[in-house]
Amino acid sequence: MTQAEDPGHAAPEPTQREGVEEALYAKRQKIYPREVHGLFAGLRVTSVILLLGIFYGLPWITWDGRQSVLLDLPARKFYIFGLTLWPQDFLLLAFLLIIAALSLFFFTALAGRVWCGYACPQTVWTEVFLWMDRLIEGDRQKQIKLDKSPYSFRKLRIKLTKHIVWIVFSAFTGFTFVSYFTPATHLAAKLASFNLGPWETFWMIFYGFATYGNAGWLREQVCLYMCPYARFQSAMFDDDTLVVSYDEKRGEPRGPRRHGIDHRARGMGDCINCTLCVQVCPTGIDIRDGLQYQCISCSACIDACNDVMEKMGYPRGLIRYTTQNALQGKKTQIVRPRIVIYGLILTAFITAFITILATRIPLQLDVIRDRNQLYRETRDMIENVYTLKILNMDNQPHEYRITVSGDDLEHMQLLTDSNPISVNAGEVLDVPARVRVDEEELEHRSSHIYFTIDDAANPDLKVTEKARFLGPERHDDD
Amino acid sequence: MQIWDNTGTIPKPQRIIAVLWLSFLMAGVATGLFFSAIDPMELRNCVAFPEVNRTTAYSIGFFLFWLLTSSSSLLAVFFIHPSEGKPAASDSSGNGQ
Repeated sequence: MTQAEDPGHAAPEPTQREGVEEALYAKRQKIYPREVHGLFAGLRVTSVILLLGIFYGLPWITWDGRQSVLLDLPARKFYIFGLTLWPQDFLLLAFLLIIAALSLFFFTALAGRVWCGYACPQTVWTEVFLWMDRLIEGDRQKQIKLDKSPYSFRKLRIKLTKHIVWIVFSAFTGFTFVSYFTPATHLAAKLASFNLGPWETFWMIFYGFATYGNAGWLREQVCLYMCPYARFQSAMFDDDTLVVSYDEKRGEPRGPRRHGIDHRARGMGDCINCTLCVQVCPTGIDIRDGLQYQCISCSACIDACNDVMEKMGYPRGLIRYTTQNALQGKKTQIVRPRIVIYGLILTAFITAFITILATRIPLQLDVIRDRNQLYRETRDMIENVYTLKILNMDNQPHEYRITVSGDDLEHMQLLTDSNPISVNAGEVLDVPARVRVDEEELEHRSSHIYFTIDDAANPDLKVTEKARFLGPERHDDD
Repeated sequence: MQIWDNTGTIPKPQRIIAVLWLSFLMAGVATGLFFSAIDPMELRNCVAFPEVNRTTAYSIGFFLFWLLTSSSSLLAVFFIHPSEGKPAASDSSGNGQ
Protein backbone atom coordinates (compact mmCIF):
# COMPACT_ATOMS: atom_id res chain seq x y z
CA MET A 1 0.00 0.00 0.00
CA THR A 2 2.64 2.49 1.04
CA GLN A 3 4.71 1.40 -1.90
CA ALA A 4 1.83 2.05 -4.24
CA GLU A 5 1.12 5.45 -2.75
CA ASP A 6 4.71 6.53 -2.89
CA PRO A 7 6.25 5.21 -6.09
CA GLY A 8 9.40 7.15 -5.48
CA HIS A 9 10.31 4.87 -2.60
CA ALA A 10 8.94 1.73 -4.16
CA ALA A 11 10.99 1.87 -7.29
CA PRO A 12 14.46 0.94 -6.02
CA GLU A 13 13.29 -1.71 -3.59
CA PRO A 14 12.49 -4.59 -5.97
CA THR A 15 15.82 -4.29 -7.72
CA GLN A 16 17.63 -4.36 -4.42
CA ARG A 17 15.67 -7.42 -3.42
CA GLU A 18 16.42 -9.07 -6.73
CA GLY A 19 20.08 -8.45 -6.14
CA VAL A 20 19.99 -10.28 -2.83
CA GLU A 21 18.04 -13.10 -4.39
CA GLU A 22 20.49 -13.49 -7.17
CA ALA A 23 23.27 -13.85 -4.66
CA LEU A 24 21.35 -16.40 -2.60
CA TYR A 25 19.52 -18.27 -5.30
CA ALA A 26 21.69 -17.91 -8.35
CA LYS A 27 22.15 -21.03 -10.43
CA ARG A 28 24.30 -23.29 -8.34
CA GLN A 29 27.97 -23.39 -9.17
CA LYS A 30 29.23 -26.90 -8.59
CA ILE A 31 31.69 -26.96 -5.72
CA TYR A 32 34.78 -29.10 -5.94
CA PRO A 33 36.18 -29.16 -2.42
CA ARG A 34 39.91 -29.76 -2.46
CA GLU A 35 41.18 -32.63 -0.35
CA VAL A 36 42.60 -31.51 2.95
CA HIS A 37 44.82 -33.13 5.57
CA GLY A 38 45.40 -32.08 9.13
CA LEU A 39 44.19 -32.28 12.68
CA PHE A 40 40.54 -31.42 12.04
CA ALA A 41 40.30 -33.40 8.80
CA GLY A 42 41.60 -36.36 10.80
CA LEU A 43 38.99 -35.78 13.47
CA ARG A 44 36.24 -35.65 10.86
CA VAL A 45 37.40 -38.84 9.14
CA THR A 46 37.48 -40.56 12.56
CA SER A 47 33.97 -39.33 13.24
CA VAL A 48 32.77 -40.48 9.80
CA ILE A 49 34.24 -43.96 10.26
CA LEU A 50 32.83 -44.23 13.78
CA LEU A 51 29.30 -43.02 12.97
CA LEU A 52 28.93 -44.90 9.70
CA GLY A 53 30.50 -47.95 11.34
CA ILE A 54 27.75 -47.83 13.96
CA PHE A 55 25.03 -47.23 11.35
CA TYR A 56 26.08 -50.00 8.96
CA GLY A 57 27.32 -52.39 11.65
CA LEU A 58 24.57 -52.41 14.28
CA PRO A 59 22.02 -54.41 12.27
CA TRP A 60 24.53 -57.26 12.03
CA ILE A 61 25.24 -57.49 15.76
CA THR A 62 23.17 -60.02 17.67
CA TRP A 63 22.13 -59.46 21.28
CA ASP A 64 20.11 -61.92 23.36
CA GLY A 65 19.36 -63.94 20.23
CA ARG A 66 17.98 -61.02 18.25
CA GLN A 67 19.27 -58.01 16.35
CA SER A 68 20.92 -55.58 18.79
CA VAL A 69 18.87 -52.58 17.69
CA LEU A 70 15.56 -53.44 16.10
CA LEU A 71 12.59 -51.13 15.83
CA ASP A 72 9.95 -53.77 15.35
CA LEU A 73 7.07 -51.58 14.23
CA PRO A 74 4.72 -54.43 13.23
CA ALA A 75 5.03 -55.86 16.77
CA ARG A 76 5.08 -52.38 18.35
CA LYS A 77 8.28 -53.11 20.26
CA PHE A 78 11.69 -51.45 20.17
CA TYR A 79 14.64 -53.68 21.05
CA ILE A 80 17.71 -51.73 22.09
CA PHE A 81 20.32 -54.21 23.26
CA GLY A 82 18.99 -55.66 26.53
CA LEU A 83 16.09 -53.25 26.71
CA THR A 84 12.64 -53.77 25.23
CA LEU A 85 10.56 -50.63 24.87
CA TRP A 86 6.77 -50.67 24.47
CA PRO A 87 4.43 -47.92 23.28
CA GLN A 88 3.80 -47.43 27.02
CA ASP A 89 7.41 -46.25 27.32
CA PHE A 90 6.70 -43.33 25.03
CA LEU A 91 7.78 -40.89 27.74
CA LEU A 92 11.33 -42.27 27.52
CA LEU A 93 11.45 -41.62 23.79
CA ALA A 94 10.09 -38.11 24.29
CA PHE A 95 12.73 -37.42 26.94
CA LEU A 96 15.43 -38.77 24.65
CA LEU A 97 14.37 -36.37 21.88
CA ILE A 98 14.29 -33.44 24.33
CA ILE A 99 17.76 -34.39 25.57
CA ALA A 100 19.02 -34.55 21.98
CA ALA A 101 17.60 -31.09 21.22
CA LEU A 102 18.96 -29.57 24.43
CA SER A 103 22.40 -31.09 23.82
CA LEU A 104 22.37 -29.46 20.39
CA PHE A 105 21.56 -26.09 22.02
CA PHE A 106 24.18 -26.55 24.71
CA PHE A 107 26.99 -27.57 22.40
CA THR A 108 26.08 -24.91 19.85
CA ALA A 109 26.28 -22.19 22.50
CA LEU A 110 29.59 -23.59 23.72
CA ALA A 111 31.40 -24.68 20.60
CA GLY A 112 29.39 -23.44 17.63
CA ARG A 113 28.36 -25.74 14.81
CA VAL A 114 30.37 -28.81 15.85
CA TRP A 115 27.33 -30.91 14.98
CA CYS A 116 27.38 -29.63 11.38
CA GLY A 117 31.09 -30.09 10.89
CA TYR A 118 31.55 -33.54 12.34
CA ALA A 119 28.37 -35.45 13.11
CA CYS A 120 25.50 -34.39 10.85
CA PRO A 121 24.47 -37.23 8.50
CA GLN A 122 24.58 -34.75 5.63
CA THR A 123 28.26 -33.98 6.36
CA VAL A 124 29.12 -37.60 7.05
CA TRP A 125 27.59 -39.00 3.88
CA THR A 126 28.79 -36.10 1.73
CA GLU A 127 32.31 -36.83 2.98
CA VAL A 128 32.00 -40.43 1.76
CA PHE A 129 30.64 -39.29 -1.61
CA LEU A 130 33.48 -36.77 -1.98
CA TRP A 131 35.89 -39.57 -1.24
CA MET A 132 34.27 -41.73 -3.93
CA ASP A 133 34.50 -38.78 -6.37
CA ARG A 134 38.24 -38.44 -5.71
CA LEU A 135 38.76 -42.16 -6.08
CA ILE A 136 37.01 -42.29 -9.45
CA GLU A 137 37.48 -38.84 -11.00
CA GLY A 138 40.74 -37.84 -9.36
CA ASP A 139 41.56 -34.72 -7.36
CA ARG A 140 39.91 -31.29 -7.58
CA GLN A 141 41.81 -30.17 -10.70
CA LYS A 142 41.01 -33.39 -12.54
CA GLN A 143 37.33 -33.15 -11.58
CA ILE A 144 37.07 -29.57 -12.89
CA LYS A 145 38.92 -30.51 -16.08
CA LEU A 146 36.71 -33.53 -16.64
CA ASP A 147 33.52 -31.51 -16.24
CA LYS A 148 34.77 -28.86 -18.64
CA SER A 149 35.88 -31.35 -21.29
CA PRO A 150 33.50 -32.18 -24.16
CA TYR A 151 31.66 -35.48 -24.07
CA SER A 152 33.83 -38.39 -24.95
CA PHE A 153 33.90 -42.11 -24.34
CA ARG A 154 36.33 -41.60 -21.46
CA LYS A 155 34.15 -38.99 -19.75
CA LEU A 156 31.07 -41.15 -20.17
CA ARG A 157 32.90 -44.15 -18.72
CA ILE A 158 34.14 -42.23 -15.69
CA LYS A 159 30.78 -40.58 -15.01
CA LEU A 160 28.97 -43.88 -15.45
CA THR A 161 31.34 -45.62 -13.05
CA LYS A 162 30.85 -42.84 -10.51
CA HIS A 163 27.08 -43.05 -10.64
CA ILE A 164 27.09 -46.84 -10.45
CA VAL A 165 29.27 -46.64 -7.33
CA TRP A 166 27.02 -43.90 -5.90
CA ILE A 167 23.90 -45.98 -6.58
CA VAL A 168 25.35 -49.20 -5.14
CA PHE A 169 26.41 -47.35 -2.00
CA SER A 170 23.03 -45.60 -1.72
CA ALA A 171 21.17 -48.87 -2.23
CA PHE A 172 23.18 -50.47 0.56
CA THR A 173 22.38 -47.45 2.73
CA GLY A 174 18.67 -47.88 1.97
CA PHE A 175 18.94 -51.57 2.80
CA THR A 176 20.66 -50.76 6.10
CA PHE A 177 17.98 -48.20 6.98
CA VAL A 178 15.17 -50.69 6.44
CA SER A 179 17.10 -53.37 8.35
CA TYR A 180 16.49 -51.35 11.51
CA PHE A 181 12.82 -52.23 11.05
CA THR A 182 13.04 -55.70 9.50
CA PRO A 183 15.92 -57.87 10.83
CA ALA A 184 18.90 -57.55 8.46
CA THR A 185 19.34 -61.30 8.00
CA HIS A 186 15.66 -61.77 7.09
CA LEU A 187 15.78 -58.74 4.83
CA ALA A 188 18.87 -60.06 3.04
CA ALA A 189 17.20 -63.44 2.53
CA LYS A 190 14.01 -61.76 1.26
CA LEU A 191 16.03 -59.56 -1.07
CA ALA A 192 17.99 -62.53 -2.42
CA SER A 193 14.77 -64.36 -3.25
CA PHE A 194 13.04 -61.21 -4.63
CA ASN A 195 10.45 -61.57 -1.92
CA LEU A 196 10.44 -58.09 -0.34
CA GLY A 197 7.27 -56.60 1.02
CA PRO A 198 5.89 -53.56 -0.85
CA TRP A 199 6.71 -51.11 1.95
CA GLU A 200 10.15 -52.58 2.54
CA THR A 201 10.85 -52.04 -1.16
CA PHE A 202 9.39 -48.56 -1.08
CA TRP A 203 11.32 -47.31 1.95
CA MET A 204 14.55 -48.93 0.74
CA ILE A 205 14.28 -47.06 -2.56
CA PHE A 206 13.12 -43.90 -0.78
CA TYR A 207 16.04 -43.81 1.64
CA GLY A 208 18.52 -44.93 -1.01
CA PHE A 209 17.30 -42.20 -3.33
CA ALA A 210 17.50 -39.63 -0.51
CA THR A 211 21.13 -40.62 0.09
CA TYR A 212 21.96 -40.46 -3.61
CA GLY A 213 20.24 -37.10 -4.03
CA ASN A 214 21.34 -35.40 -0.82
CA ALA A 215 24.94 -36.60 -0.59
CA GLY A 216 25.56 -36.98 -4.32
CA TRP A 217 23.80 -34.03 -5.92
CA LEU A 218 22.52 -31.51 -3.41
CA ARG A 219 25.38 -31.55 -0.87
CA GLU A 220 25.91 -28.06 0.58
CA GLN A 221 22.51 -26.95 -0.73
CA VAL A 222 20.88 -29.12 1.93
CA CYS A 223 22.69 -27.04 4.56
CA LEU A 224 21.95 -23.75 2.82
CA TYR A 225 18.30 -24.20 1.89
CA MET A 226 16.82 -27.21 3.63
CA CYS A 227 18.28 -27.39 7.11
CA PRO A 228 16.15 -25.73 9.80
CA TYR A 229 19.04 -25.89 12.27
CA ALA A 230 21.29 -23.88 9.94
CA ARG A 231 18.68 -21.13 9.98
CA PHE A 232 18.16 -20.84 13.70
CA GLN A 233 21.55 -21.86 15.10
CA SER A 234 22.68 -18.23 15.17
CA ALA A 235 20.11 -17.64 17.93
CA MET A 236 22.26 -19.79 20.22
CA PHE A 237 25.44 -17.89 19.37
CA ASP A 238 26.99 -15.10 21.39
CA ASP A 239 30.37 -13.40 21.38
CA ASP A 240 31.87 -16.20 23.48
CA THR A 241 30.84 -19.03 21.15
CA LEU A 242 33.62 -20.90 19.42
CA VAL A 243 33.64 -20.09 15.71
CA VAL A 244 35.97 -20.75 12.81
CA SER A 245 37.36 -17.34 12.04
CA TYR A 246 39.99 -15.59 10.00
CA ASP A 247 42.18 -13.22 11.99
CA GLU A 248 41.72 -10.11 9.89
CA LYS A 249 44.07 -7.97 11.98
CA ARG A 250 46.87 -10.44 11.41
CA GLY A 251 46.11 -11.37 7.82
CA GLU A 252 45.40 -8.03 6.14
CA PRO A 253 46.47 -6.56 3.88
CA ARG A 254 46.70 -9.85 2.05
CA GLY A 255 48.74 -10.52 -1.06
CA PRO A 256 51.33 -12.76 -2.73
CA ARG A 257 54.97 -12.37 -1.77
CA ARG A 258 58.28 -14.11 -2.24
CA HIS A 259 59.32 -16.64 0.35
CA GLY A 260 61.47 -15.34 3.18
CA ILE A 261 60.96 -11.60 2.74
CA ASP A 262 60.04 -9.44 5.72
CA HIS A 263 56.42 -8.85 4.74
CA ARG A 264 55.67 -6.81 7.84
CA ALA A 265 58.29 -4.26 6.84
CA ARG A 266 56.51 -3.95 3.48
CA GLY A 267 53.20 -3.34 5.21
CA MET A 268 51.68 -6.76 4.41
CA GLY A 269 49.69 -9.11 6.59
CA ASP A 270 50.17 -12.86 6.98
CA CYS A 271 47.57 -13.89 4.36
CA ILE A 272 49.34 -14.76 1.12
CA ASN A 273 46.02 -14.94 -0.74
CA CYS A 274 46.67 -18.48 -1.96
CA THR A 275 42.85 -19.09 -1.84
CA LEU A 276 43.36 -22.61 -0.53
CA CYS A 277 40.86 -21.86 2.24
CA VAL A 278 38.26 -21.17 -0.44
CA GLN A 279 39.20 -24.25 -2.47
CA VAL A 280 38.77 -26.65 0.44
CA CYS A 281 35.46 -25.18 1.60
CA PRO A 282 32.60 -27.64 1.06
CA THR A 283 30.05 -24.81 0.96
CA GLY A 284 32.16 -22.66 -1.33
CA ILE A 285 32.50 -19.56 0.85
CA ASP A 286 35.48 -17.36 1.64
CA ILE A 287 36.03 -17.49 5.40
CA ARG A 288 37.97 -14.21 5.15
CA ASP A 289 34.68 -12.40 4.48
CA GLY A 290 33.71 -12.96 8.11
CA LEU A 291 31.20 -15.16 9.89
CA GLN A 292 28.60 -16.47 7.45
CA TYR A 293 25.58 -18.68 7.96
CA GLN A 294 26.84 -20.95 5.17
CA CYS A 295 29.88 -21.92 7.28
CA ILE A 296 29.30 -25.37 8.76
CA SER A 297 32.44 -25.13 10.95
CA CYS A 298 34.06 -28.12 9.28
CA SER A 299 37.45 -26.39 9.81
CA ALA A 300 38.86 -27.64 6.50
CA CYS A 301 40.12 -24.07 5.98
CA ILE A 302 41.96 -24.18 9.30
CA ASP A 303 43.88 -27.28 8.23
CA ALA A 304 44.61 -25.84 4.78
CA CYS A 305 45.78 -22.48 6.12
CA ASN A 306 47.91 -23.99 8.86
CA ASP A 307 49.79 -25.97 6.22
CA VAL A 308 50.46 -22.81 4.25
CA MET A 309 51.52 -20.86 7.35
CA GLU A 310 54.00 -23.59 8.20
CA LYS A 311 55.45 -23.58 4.69
CA MET A 312 55.81 -19.81 4.88
CA GLY A 313 57.42 -20.04 8.30
CA TYR A 314 54.60 -18.00 9.91
CA PRO A 315 52.84 -19.01 13.13
CA ARG A 316 49.81 -21.27 12.67
CA GLY A 317 46.26 -20.15 13.34
CA LEU A 318 45.64 -17.32 10.89
CA ILE A 319 42.31 -19.12 10.52
CA ARG A 320 41.44 -20.78 13.81
CA TYR A 321 38.78 -21.74 16.30
CA THR A 322 38.25 -18.61 18.32
CA THR A 323 35.51 -16.35 19.66
CA GLN A 324 34.33 -12.90 18.62
CA ASN A 325 35.48 -11.60 21.99
CA ALA A 326 38.95 -13.07 21.61
CA LEU A 327 39.28 -11.55 18.14
CA GLN A 328 38.40 -8.15 19.56
CA GLY A 329 41.03 -8.59 22.25
CA LYS A 330 38.49 -9.17 25.02
CA LYS A 331 38.35 -12.07 27.45
CA THR A 332 36.38 -15.16 26.44
CA GLN A 333 34.00 -16.32 29.12
CA ILE A 334 33.23 -20.01 28.99
CA VAL A 335 30.91 -20.04 32.02
CA ARG A 336 28.12 -17.59 31.31
CA PRO A 337 24.35 -17.53 32.04
CA ARG A 338 23.41 -19.09 28.70
CA ILE A 339 25.74 -22.06 29.23
CA VAL A 340 24.71 -22.49 32.87
CA ILE A 341 20.98 -22.45 32.04
CA TYR A 342 21.28 -24.84 29.07
CA GLY A 343 23.56 -27.02 31.19
CA LEU A 344 21.18 -27.14 34.16
CA ILE A 345 18.11 -27.96 32.05
CA LEU A 346 20.09 -30.61 30.18
CA THR A 347 21.33 -32.18 33.42
CA ALA A 348 17.79 -32.18 34.84
CA PHE A 349 16.41 -34.00 31.81
CA ILE A 350 19.26 -36.52 31.73
CA THR A 351 18.75 -37.23 35.45
CA ALA A 352 15.00 -37.64 34.93
CA PHE A 353 15.60 -39.95 31.97
CA ILE A 354 18.00 -42.17 33.92
CA THR A 355 15.64 -42.24 36.91
CA ILE A 356 12.67 -43.25 34.75
CA LEU A 357 14.75 -45.91 33.03
CA ALA A 358 16.19 -47.27 36.30
CA THR A 359 12.89 -47.39 38.17
CA ARG A 360 10.94 -48.69 35.19
CA ILE A 361 8.98 -51.84 36.09
CA PRO A 362 8.61 -54.07 33.04
CA LEU A 363 5.11 -55.05 34.09
CA GLN A 364 1.78 -53.41 33.52
CA LEU A 365 -1.71 -54.14 34.78
CA ASP A 366 -4.95 -52.76 33.40
CA VAL A 367 -8.22 -53.55 35.13
CA ILE A 368 -11.37 -53.49 33.02
CA ARG A 369 -14.76 -53.88 34.76
CA ASP A 370 -17.30 -56.15 33.17
CA ARG A 371 -19.69 -53.90 31.31
CA ASN A 372 -22.64 -56.26 31.23
CA GLN A 373 -23.65 -56.19 34.85
CA LEU A 374 -22.88 -53.86 37.73
CA TYR A 375 -22.82 -56.57 40.41
CA ARG A 376 -24.22 -59.98 41.26
CA GLU A 377 -25.52 -61.23 44.59
CA THR A 378 -24.41 -64.66 45.79
CA ARG A 379 -25.84 -65.61 49.21
CA ASP A 380 -24.47 -62.89 51.54
CA MET A 381 -21.69 -61.86 49.19
CA ILE A 382 -21.62 -59.28 46.37
CA GLU A 383 -19.66 -60.21 43.27
CA ASN A 384 -18.04 -57.99 40.59
CA VAL A 385 -16.41 -59.30 37.44
CA TYR A 386 -13.22 -57.87 35.96
CA THR A 387 -10.76 -58.59 33.21
CA LEU A 388 -7.12 -58.14 34.25
CA LYS A 389 -4.84 -57.26 31.35
CA ILE A 390 -1.36 -58.35 32.42
CA LEU A 391 1.45 -57.05 30.22
CA ASN A 392 4.84 -58.70 30.74
CA MET A 393 7.28 -56.22 29.19
CA ASP A 394 10.30 -58.18 30.36
CA ASN A 395 12.48 -60.36 28.15
CA GLN A 396 11.70 -63.51 30.16
CA PRO A 397 8.56 -65.28 31.39
CA HIS A 398 7.30 -64.63 34.91
CA GLU A 399 4.87 -66.15 37.40
CA TYR A 400 2.65 -63.51 38.91
CA ARG A 401 0.58 -63.72 42.09
CA ILE A 402 -2.67 -61.82 41.95
CA THR A 403 -4.05 -60.35 45.18
CA VAL A 404 -6.85 -57.96 45.92
CA SER A 405 -7.43 -55.58 48.83
CA GLY A 406 -9.81 -52.78 49.69
CA ASP A 407 -10.31 -49.82 52.00
CA ASP A 408 -12.08 -51.18 55.13
CA LEU A 409 -12.89 -54.45 53.36
CA GLU A 410 -11.67 -57.48 55.23
CA HIS A 411 -13.53 -60.44 53.84
CA MET A 412 -12.68 -60.45 50.18
CA GLN A 413 -12.51 -63.39 47.84
CA LEU A 414 -10.64 -63.48 44.55
CA LEU A 415 -11.58 -66.14 42.02
CA THR A 416 -9.37 -66.70 38.97
CA ASP A 417 -8.68 -69.70 36.80
CA SER A 418 -5.16 -70.03 38.09
CA ASN A 419 -3.17 -68.08 40.62
CA PRO A 420 -0.20 -67.59 40.35
CA ILE A 421 -0.38 -67.24 36.63
CA SER A 422 2.53 -67.48 34.20
CA VAL A 423 2.93 -64.89 31.45
CA ASN A 424 5.45 -65.31 28.64
CA ALA A 425 8.02 -62.69 27.71
CA GLY A 426 6.33 -59.85 25.83
CA GLU A 427 2.88 -61.37 26.26
CA VAL A 428 -0.38 -59.58 27.01
CA LEU A 429 -2.65 -61.90 28.97
CA ASP A 430 -6.33 -61.34 29.70
CA VAL A 431 -7.26 -62.90 33.04
CA PRO A 432 -10.93 -63.03 34.00
CA ALA A 433 -11.30 -62.38 37.73
CA ARG A 434 -14.27 -62.36 40.09
CA VAL A 435 -14.12 -60.50 43.38
CA ARG A 436 -16.58 -61.19 46.21
CA VAL A 437 -17.08 -58.92 49.19
CA ASP A 438 -19.17 -59.45 52.34
CA GLU A 439 -22.28 -57.32 51.85
CA GLU A 440 -22.16 -56.15 55.48
CA GLU A 441 -18.77 -54.55 54.91
CA LEU A 442 -19.87 -52.46 51.95
CA GLU A 443 -20.53 -48.99 53.31
CA HIS A 444 -21.13 -47.28 49.99
CA ARG A 445 -22.53 -48.12 46.62
CA SER A 446 -19.06 -47.77 45.16
CA SER A 447 -15.82 -48.70 46.93
CA HIS A 448 -12.21 -48.63 45.88
CA ILE A 449 -10.37 -51.91 45.62
CA TYR A 450 -6.78 -52.58 44.61
CA PHE A 451 -5.46 -55.38 42.45
CA THR A 452 -1.81 -56.20 42.99
CA ILE A 453 0.31 -58.50 40.88
CA ASP A 454 3.82 -59.44 41.86
CA ASP A 455 6.48 -62.01 41.12
CA ALA A 456 7.40 -63.93 44.28
CA ALA A 457 10.90 -64.57 42.95
CA ASN A 458 11.42 -60.94 42.00
CA PRO A 459 10.18 -58.43 44.61
CA ASP A 460 10.80 -55.45 42.29
CA LEU A 461 8.18 -56.72 39.89
CA LYS A 462 5.08 -55.45 41.61
CA VAL A 463 2.30 -53.21 40.38
CA THR A 464 -0.98 -52.16 41.96
CA GLU A 465 -3.99 -50.90 40.06
CA LYS A 466 -7.05 -49.21 41.49
CA ALA A 467 -10.55 -50.33 40.50
CA ARG A 468 -14.14 -49.72 41.55
CA PHE A 469 -16.30 -52.25 43.30
CA LEU A 470 -20.04 -51.67 42.93
CA GLY A 471 -22.72 -52.95 45.28
CA PRO A 472 -26.42 -52.38 45.94
CA GLU A 473 -27.76 -48.96 46.97
CA ARG A 474 -27.35 -48.35 50.71
CA HIS A 475 -29.96 -46.58 52.78
CA ASP A 476 -27.36 -44.46 54.54
CA ASP A 477 -26.04 -43.29 51.15
CA ASP A 478 -27.01 -39.84 50.08
CA MET B 1 -6.72 -17.63 -7.63
CA GLN B 2 -3.02 -17.26 -7.34
CA ILE B 3 -1.58 -19.90 -5.05
CA TRP B 4 2.04 -19.07 -5.65
CA ASP B 5 3.36 -15.66 -4.86
CA ASN B 6 4.64 -14.56 -8.25
CA THR B 7 5.98 -11.24 -7.05
CA GLY B 8 9.23 -12.95 -6.21
CA THR B 9 9.28 -12.10 -2.51
CA ILE B 10 9.89 -15.75 -1.72
CA PRO B 11 12.12 -17.55 -4.22
CA LYS B 12 10.72 -20.69 -5.79
CA PRO B 13 13.15 -23.27 -4.32
CA GLN B 14 12.47 -21.87 -0.89
CA ARG B 15 8.71 -22.12 -1.42
CA ILE B 16 8.96 -25.73 -2.55
CA ILE B 17 11.12 -26.57 0.46
CA ALA B 18 8.79 -24.70 2.79
CA VAL B 19 5.85 -26.72 1.55
CA LEU B 20 7.24 -30.20 1.02
CA TRP B 21 10.32 -30.64 3.15
CA LEU B 22 9.32 -29.04 6.45
CA SER B 23 5.93 -30.74 6.29
CA PHE B 24 7.77 -34.03 5.72
CA LEU B 25 9.67 -33.53 9.00
CA MET B 26 6.50 -32.64 10.89
CA ALA B 27 4.58 -35.55 9.35
CA GLY B 28 7.31 -37.83 10.68
CA VAL B 29 6.89 -36.41 14.19
CA ALA B 30 3.09 -36.64 13.97
CA THR B 31 3.23 -40.25 12.75
CA GLY B 32 5.51 -41.19 15.63
CA LEU B 33 3.30 -39.52 18.21
CA PHE B 34 0.04 -40.81 16.79
CA PHE B 35 1.05 -44.44 16.41
CA SER B 36 2.80 -44.66 19.78
CA ALA B 37 -0.50 -43.73 21.38
CA ILE B 38 -2.78 -45.64 19.00
CA ASP B 39 -2.38 -49.13 17.64
CA PRO B 40 -3.81 -49.27 14.11
CA MET B 41 -5.04 -52.78 14.85
CA GLU B 42 -7.23 -51.45 17.65
CA LEU B 43 -8.41 -48.58 15.49
CA ARG B 44 -10.03 -51.15 13.26
CA ASN B 45 -12.47 -52.07 16.03
CA CYS B 46 -13.71 -48.51 16.39
CA VAL B 47 -13.91 -47.08 12.89
CA ALA B 48 -14.25 -48.48 9.42
CA PHE B 49 -10.62 -49.23 8.73
CA PRO B 50 -9.34 -51.21 5.77
CA GLU B 51 -8.02 -54.71 6.32
CA VAL B 52 -4.28 -53.96 6.34
CA ASN B 53 -1.28 -54.95 8.40
CA ARG B 54 0.44 -52.52 10.74
CA THR B 55 3.34 -51.66 8.41
CA THR B 56 0.90 -50.59 5.70
CA ALA B 57 -1.18 -48.65 8.22
CA TYR B 58 1.93 -46.78 9.45
CA SER B 59 3.00 -45.92 5.91
CA ILE B 60 -0.47 -44.78 4.86
CA GLY B 61 -0.72 -42.83 8.12
CA PHE B 62 2.54 -41.10 7.33
CA PHE B 63 1.41 -40.06 3.87
CA LEU B 64 -1.92 -38.80 5.17
CA PHE B 65 -0.09 -36.74 7.78
CA TRP B 66 2.25 -35.46 5.09
CA LEU B 67 -0.73 -34.46 2.96
CA LEU B 68 -2.20 -32.64 5.95
CA THR B 69 0.99 -30.85 6.99
CA SER B 70 1.92 -29.93 3.43
CA SER B 71 -1.57 -28.51 2.84
CA SER B 72 -1.06 -26.39 5.90
CA SER B 73 2.34 -25.27 4.63
CA LEU B 74 0.90 -24.53 1.20
CA LEU B 75 -1.75 -22.32 2.76
CA ALA B 76 0.89 -20.61 4.89
CA VAL B 77 3.01 -19.89 1.82
CA PHE B 78 -0.09 -18.62 0.06
CA PHE B 79 -1.13 -16.38 2.94
CA ILE B 80 2.31 -15.02 3.66
CA HIS B 81 2.12 -12.45 0.88
CA PRO B 82 -0.29 -9.61 1.53
CA SER B 83 -3.71 -9.72 -0.03
CA GLU B 84 -3.99 -7.65 -3.19
CA GLY B 85 -5.07 -4.08 -2.67
CA LYS B 86 -7.10 -1.96 -5.07
CA PRO B 87 -6.57 -3.16 -8.67
CA ALA B 88 -5.23 0.24 -9.67
CA ALA B 89 -2.76 0.28 -6.80
CA SER B 90 -1.43 -3.17 -7.55
CA ASP B 91 -0.92 -2.16 -11.19
CA SER B 92 1.05 0.93 -10.30
CA SER B 93 3.29 -1.01 -7.94
CA GLY B 94 4.58 -2.81 -11.00
CA ASN B 95 3.79 -6.40 -10.18
CA GLY B 96 3.46 -7.00 -13.86
CA GLN B 97 0.74 -9.63 -13.47
